[in-house]
Amino acid sequence: MPRCVTLEEELAAAIEAAGRGAPPPDFAAWALRVFAHQFEHNAPYRAFCTRRGVTPATVARWEDVPAVPSAAFRQVDLACGPPEAVFSTSGTTSAAARGRHLVPHLALYRASALATFARFVLPDAARLPCLSLVPPPALRPDSSLVQMCVWVGEALARGIAWMVGERGLETERLLARLAAAETSGEALLLLGVTAAFAQLFQACRARGRAFRLGPASRVVDTGGQKGLTRPLSRPAFLRECWTLLGIPGYYCVNEYGMTELCSQRYDSALDDRFHGRSLAPRRLAGPPWLRTRVLDPDTLAPVAPGASGLLCHHDLANAGSVSVVLSEDLGRAVGDDGIEVLGRVAGAVPRGCGLLLADLEPS
Amino acid sequence: MSAETSAQLRARLDAAVAARARLRGRPLRHTIAALAAAAERWRDDASLRADLPRAARLSPAMIAAVVPIAAEALDAATMSALAEREWGAGAAARPAPPGPALVAHVVASNVPALALPAIALGCLAGAAVLVKSGRDDPLSAPAFQRALAAVDPVLAATVVTAYWPGGEVAREDAALGRAAVVVATGGDATLAALAPRLGRRLIAHGPRWSVALVGRAGAGDVDAIALDTALHDQRGCLSPHAVYVTDDARAFAERLAAALDGLGARLPPGPASVDARAAARLVAAEAEWAPGAAVLGGAGGTVIYEDVPAFRPTAGRRTVRVHPLRHVRELPELLPPGRIECLGLAGIDPAPLVAALRARGVARVCPVGRMQRPPLSWPRGQHAPLGVLLGRRAEPLLEVEP
Repeated sequence: MPRCVTLEEELAAAIEAAGRGAPPPDFAAWALRVFAHQFEHNAPYRAFCTRRGVTPATVARWEDVPAVPSAAFRQVDLACGPPEAVFSTSGTTSAAARGRHLVPHLALYRASALATFARFVLPDAARLPCLSLVPPPALRPDSSLVQMCVWVGEALARGIAWMVGERGLETERLLARLAAAETSGEALLLLGVTAAFAQLFQACRARGRAFRLGPASRVVDTGGQKGLTRPLSRPAFLRECWTLLGIPGYYCVNEYGMTELCSQRYDSALDDRFHGRSLAPRRLAGPPWLRTRVLDPDTLAPVAPGASGLLCHHDLANAGSVSVVLSEDLGRAVGDDGIEVLGRVAGAVPRGCGLLLADLEPS
Repeated sequence: MSAETSAQLRARLDAAVAARARLRGRPLRHTIAALAAAAERWRDDASLRADLPRAARLSPAMIAAVVPIAAEALDAATMSALAEREWGAGAAARPAPPGPALVAHVVASNVPALALPAIALGCLAGAAVLVKSGRDDPLSAPAFQRALAAVDPVLAATVVTAYWPGGEVAREDAALGRAAVVVATGGDATLAALAPRLGRRLIAHGPRWSVALVGRAGAGDVDAIALDTALHDQRGCLSPHAVYVTDDARAFAERLAAALDGLGARLPPGPASVDARAAARLVAAEAEWAPGAAVLGGAGGTVIYEDVPAFRPTAGRRTVRVHPLRHVRELPELLPPGRIECLGLAGIDPAPLVAALRARGVARVCPVGRMQRPPLSWPRGQHAPLGVLLGRRAEPLLEVEP
């Protein structure tokens, strides 16, 4: 007897098809379908919406779907069904203060993550050996970033080597691997948290060592300033990538993600370059199934274009939990499809994958 | 002022120290009278009242409310009593005891007019005074010096006011290096940057908050706590962030929310940065999902009822948590050590709590409604206000106001 295709399976298929060049899912229509699904199957979210007098019958526009603050993920489990995976936010605070994202359909997360990674990091369809500067899944099975790295290693790279161990970044092993790649002229995909790259840069400088990695090598970093022992501006990061790794700025792609989201945003530089838009401003762009609005903190209405406000993400790939998440990040819109993250709101709980290494360090 | 070089600033400091030497034999009562008279002139300074709202990012109505409060702290009788308490009987008739030639105050800008007590205490200690204003109030200090010059130019010559953006290390070292004592108020990062350069000369006042404890609350008590919360838009260390209620806390929370809404019309909030507004939004948004919590209130402020007693500061913007408390003796254990400045009381006898509060680092206990009206004798950070400038060691102080 044929099985019914679930909403999540249907959406995952649409996203995978979009990754292969098909038209993307119709955001507005899917947003309303997903909201109705979550209202029906996610009891805490339904209660939250009902308190506001919002139901699927009253919502006519995707912008009117109620947003849940990311802090809610620290308080309740928000899922539309039994989870296939539970991801936790990283942070130096107590485990009780960490958020949990229950993901009932990992295939949907996988479809979104890989399609987006391929578009923004591998627009040339290159398949490179990946060096991971995040902990392996055995050390951080609850990290959504680590899970994404696993998938990238399996599907979009020629294998993955984990360069972080129980005691943090394994610097000597990493330097040896970089030296081997330099000698062979092999291009690499370096994927990790910004703080780990900062440690790598420090190790290079301490040894007076700089590499010229093979052409088309690239860096993907995430986590920003979190976990850094000293500030590292974006221009300084790009300069270090060029000076110490031989990787030019347009091959350095910053990722912006949240444990509570199944879709990510990426620095547009590489995608723009491969599509003849090299003069476009650097921005964090995302897939068509992720929209981000910049909201006034008092009214939660959209701010004027270019003004700063709270970032509110609407991620269709979150169909299994809650799709609209009010983040604790401030940002502004850039161009038609991008954002710039200006930083975390003062007083927000320290968290984020930038702290993945800090989590491994003894307190 | 911003164009002033370090050398010019040092010259002004030298002149102030020389002026201070000429006053060493003068009885304190003249200083007290001059400070009180200057405070009254400062209070009535029309240009200050016109310009301060924009600088301090407080509404004009709020400035009109808080300027008289700042001025009244420099009451002559209060200053005489303080001098006598610290220097002994008859102190006002004598010169200040030997002490530092120059006291520097690095003043935060979360609350306006912090320069007034800084100048007054320095003068009462017999020192020349440098006040480095905070970014959001570079006006009050020079306005007060002008007022002082009008009533006592000799004393005014011992006071130097300055402003430069925080983090200008060369300027800071040039100015603060001359001082025997530096009293600095600011965030943890500001103080951490100063500490290694100033060593034991630094008296640091880091971020602190206040709370209130309420028994059976009358209508006046609710209004009083609302006012304590709203004044200075809850930006000061004397602003309550939590209220512990031994009676019906939920009902109290609803009354407090209504009172804050009422105050919002009379004392509208000033403009706030996106960051500050976002932080307040997130505090309320998180509470909406917390078990046993409820978010109350509207435009005038936010009251978060939480049924588990604890202390977590809010992000300001007139946001206050209300908790039930079974017994008042449980309160001190809830307070983070060294982080609570003032406890406001309504319908509670403070006597059984004093020892535990002192051990917790609380510096001041007062009736609700007076939390934002500290006398000059307030032992901020548990320090004797004058003695600390002379490096006198003393037991941590807790002042209980009747």
